[in-house]
Formats: sequence, C-alpha cells, structure tokens
Amino acid sequence: MHSDQPSAADDPTEVGDEVDAAALARVMRVVPLGAGVLAGGAVALLVLGYLLIYWFVFIPRGTVG
Amino acid sequence: MTELHPEMHERRILGTELLWAFGVGVLIAATLGMILFTALTMSINPPSNVERIDPKTLHLSGEFAEHNLGTTVGADGSVTARIIATQFMFVPRCIAVPRGRRVTLRLATPDVLHGILVTGTNVNTMVVPGYVAQVHTEFARGGELLMPCHEYCGLGHSEMWATVQVMADNEFRPGADGRVSCAQR
Repeated sequence: MHSDQPSAADDPTEVGDEVDAAALARVMRVVPLGAGVLAGGAVALLVLGYLLIYWFVFIPRGTVG
Repeated sequence: MTELHPEMHERRILGTELLWAFGVGVLIAATLGMILFTALTMSINPPSNVERIDPKTLHLSGEFAEHNLGTTVGADGSVTARIIATQFMFVPRCIAVPRGRRVTLRLATPDVLHGILVTGTNVNTMVVPGYVAQVHTEFARGGELLMPCHEYCGLGHSEMWATVQVMADNEFRPGADGRVSCAQR
C-alpha cells in the first residue's frame, strides 16, 4: 500500500468494536458444535449418496473382474 | 459465564479433531470393508490382466486374427469373445453372448488407446496398445446393449461403437466350430 493512502485505522467506522470477552466465550462454546454439525451433515449426505449408488446401481449391475 | 483457560480451549479443539478423525477412520474402514466384501463374495472387482501382445502383428496370426474374432464356446463350455478395437470401429460390430453365464471378453488394439463399456453393466476397461484387455462378467438381462468406445481415439471416435447381443439359452447355439454370431433381428 502506498504511504500517501489513508490507513483503515484512520477511519473510525473501520476500527474494530470492543470485544466483550464473556460474549465471545459464550459464542465460542457454540461455534465448534455448529461447525461439527455442518461438516458432519455434509459428509453424511456424501456418504449416503455413495451408498445409494453403490447398493442400488453398482451392485445390481452384476459381477465383473 | 467464566472464560475458559487457553489450555482448555486447546484441549477441546484437540478432542474435537480426534473425534472427527476417528469418525472419518471408521467411514474409510467401512467403505474398504464393503469393497472387500463384494470382491470376495460377489466377484466384483476391477479387471486386472497384464498380458502383452505385439500391436503390429496381432491381426496377422494367433488369437486376434480375423477368423478367430467374435464369440467362441470352448470344449469346456467357457464363452470367450475376442474383439479388436481399431480406429474407428470394433471388429466384429456385434458380439453374441449368453445370458446368465460367465463370459470372458478379450480385447486388443493395433493402433491407439481405446476404452469400452457396456451399458447397464459394470463392464468397463481401457484397451491399451501392446496389451490384451480382459474382463470376466455375467450378463443378467437379455437384449441388445450398446458398447461404445469411451476413450477419445481420434476424429471418428463418436462413430466407434458395437452391440452386445445378450441371448437366451435357446438362442445361443454354437455351430460345429464352436462359434456364435449375432442373430438377425
């Protein structure tokens, strides 16, 4: 960045809010659970799709080797 | 609400990651177990055959000479179909096979890389110059199945396809020389 351009810190609206430690701790208790549910749900859907194709398309197509 | 000590945060993150890794490990083990189970009990596994052949002379003599192509029933009742994949056709264009019996497909190419699949079945293999591609299978349903080349082999690739005619036992009758051709329908 050029030195003649203003820094984001010069703009009062760009300066970060003060962090309420208690609120942050409360949120951080829930966020990993949400991330786990989201990632788990995505993987579960993927595995379900794989199993459906494996059992209902691939296996009925018969023996090969 | 009290704030967790940073070390506790680390432990919780590590615990979550270990739990996730365990779950993924179980999934991978289950998937591999399923593949192994179907391979051992249902004979479903990737075709693997390493057998060399000279692509320059394969059509002149031996197994893939013109008179030897197509479907043959051996003295022991085994059914083998020999096919040449060449730019841009299969020889023969129609392959007769019996329904519900073990069939061996053997393919070779004198020119470039080709690939085949038979629609509605798990038959799927590459045909690599210099090698014999071999697939064992059993056709459960009767009728005519499309067998296109599925590996781009040149400008005429889209015109390169053959038909697999799956015949019932009363239709699949080898001649005196053990050969079977497609029925005219």
